[in-house]
Amino acid sequence: MSDAALGAAGTTTGESRPKGRALRGIPAGVRCASPVALFMALGFLAPLLTVIGFAFAEPRTFTVFDSFTLENFAEIFDPADTVWMSFAWSLALALLTVVLLLFVCYPIAYGLVRVFGRWSSLVSIAFVFPLFISENVRLYGWTLFFINHGVLDGLLAQLGLPGPDVLFTPAITLFGMVYTYLPFMLFPMTLGLSMVPADLVEAARDFGASRTMIWREIELPLAMPGILIGALLTFVLAAGAVAEAKILGGQSVIMISHDIEIAFTYSQNWPRGAALAVLLMLVIGGLSMAVMARLDLDRILGRR
Amino acid sequence: MTHFDRRDALKILGAGALAAGGSFGLPGAAFAAREKEMNILCWEGYNSAQVLDPFREKEGATVKAESLTNDPTMINRLRSGESKVWDLINVNNPWARKVMYPEKLIKPLPKDEFMPFFDKMLEQFHPPYRWAMSDDGSELLGMTQRFGPYSYVVNTDKISRKTAEETGWDLFNDDSLAGKYGILESDDWNVFNIFLVAGIDPFKEHTPEEMQTFSDTALKVFKGAKVIGDIATMNQALVSGEIDLHLTGGTYSVSPARADGFPEMRAITPLKGPMNGKGGVSWIEVTSTVNNPDLSPLATEFLKYVQDPKVAHTVAFAEGTFNPVAQMGNKACFELFTKDELDAIQWDSLEEEMARSVEYDIVPDYEKALDLMNNAKRQRS
Repeated sequence: MSDAALGAAGTTTGESRPKGRALRGIPAGVRCASPVALFMALGFLAPLLTVIGFAFAEPRTFTVFDSFTLENFAEIFDPADTVWMSFAWSLALALLTVVLLLFVCYPIAYGLVRVFGRWSSLVSIAFVFPLFISENVRLYGWTLFFINHGVLDGLLAQLGLPGPDVLFTPAITLFGMVYTYLPFMLFPMTLGLSMVPADLVEAARDFGASRTMIWREIELPLAMPGILIGALLTFVLAAGAVAEAKILGGQSVIMISHDIEIAFTYSQNWPRGAALAVLLMLVIGGLSMAVMARLDLDRILGRR
Repeated sequence: MTHFDRRDALKILGAGALAAGGSFGLPGAAFAAREKEMNILCWEGYNSAQVLDPFREKEGATVKAESLTNDPTMINRLRSGESKVWDLINVNNPWARKVMYPEKLIKPLPKDEFMPFFDKMLEQFHPPYRWAMSDDGSELLGMTQRFGPYSYVVNTDKISRKTAEETGWDLFNDDSLAGKYGILESDDWNVFNIFLVAGIDPFKEHTPEEMQTFSDTALKVFKGAKVIGDIATMNQALVSGEIDLHLTGGTYSVSPARADGFPEMRAITPLKGPMNGKGGVSWIEVTSTVNNPDLSPLATEFLKYVQDPKVAHTVAFAEGTFNPVAQMGNKACFELFTKDELDAIQWDSLEEEMARSVEYDIVPDYEKALDLMNNAKRQRS
């Protein structure tokens, strides 16, 4: 049965006919997708709007859209409030994580694309597999590795060496973040590098370009969209990280997500938590937009 | 080739709607379903299969439990409209009487059915037990079960019990112990304890000078801490020798380590302190029926079920933490505890430690103190 026939069969009164005609003006795909689109809009936008609404509610209230105040933001920007330290630690550690992962992942991604050949799949699986285990379990595993009388300490003791006192420090928090977010940098970077045509590299080599020149002039620019996506993804996730600082770092630094959690739990101050969340969204959203503006998604997806 | 037309799609949608009606259903169906359904919001232990499975089997019911590790979050869940979801709430002693009942978040229990259970509990819980009653003493607001002292924990191989008890909260003012202690991530209790380290009674209104002392003490105590973490982290750090002691801690937190073969880890209650001479703080859980417009009839049945000596013993040793229970006042319940279990919950000193403790209460200027403490915590980096 065609759309037109269904429309005619379903309309028995003259009043409803224009509605049918109006619907016919909307493409079938849009009409079919509309329930899902509505569901997604409600599922995504409703919580977001609620958080934004709470950010402007009176401090320590539990009702949203009943009041409007900027007090939560004023409190956060008050110099006496040290919450800026949490923002600074989160953003600094996220940035350091991205920088370290750029150096760690590039050789691995290069290997996956150009060197490992048929072993590439196996190496990829090795990097993906830890994602199937809960992050907390993996981090507790590292705690047992680094703790006094743990795996590392025990091994070094057998060699007559003292164990390093690394647990519960900001450095180990950074290690945990690099470890956790490695796949999120590695795979977009691998995708980026895989889009560098081998012919182009060979041609450059035939014309006498050095390895450094090929890397700088061909590989890096062509792989840059993938690298930027990896960096962006890693930064966004790392800026909201909390488990590494709690489990491995022993809260030697307080991350901004932890402050948000405290506001929603022990403090019973949902508006403050919401205001912090809105600020974090603005910072991360702003940075994301800036990076996305430099990306050509069509090219990354191979449409050109 | 199989054809899939609009008629088939409508049939599937219709079947789906019927299936959904079966589980989520119309109001009538939902009401009927609540006869065999109950939801508990609780501290860990009550959500364990050991406690819930026999009740599920006995009642043929679907019982869901969610465990959280702080009272304010649980109470906020009710405030945010989840009163329609939960049937029972299990929190520490002051909340039922001072907050949840005045805010109409919970409803009283039938006294004739539940008061007799208190007669069989340990003496301190004999009726009318203050924290189970409304402010005017007319209503019974909940049932008591787990309890314990909760101040700090030491490795007695490093600091003797005698020294720890006599020195009291000044242990955390001792510069030589900086970097050797941890802080349990339990911020409401940490507020109490920072006040106590500062020599101030937490459960009163504080002057600006006292708040300044609190802030300075918080800064010092957090800067000197080697680690802040959950119970598992504290026990692991104690056993591995990363730390020698930690604040906020008690039977509740250290009993798993003691049961696991580390009896040298011990909960300590100081001999003296700034709360009318007392130095320790204790907690008592009170479980109440939520003011749910469609309260499951199983809620009160569950409260009766956990009074049974065997079930009370299971609750005491449910997974996660091990604790004394008020039902140990009943000989039939007490006899179920082995010597090792009694040792894990420090039964030998329980009575004197409870006597040296004041009961968990609400700090009048908690929000301000918590903000100061969080500021101090951030500055430890």
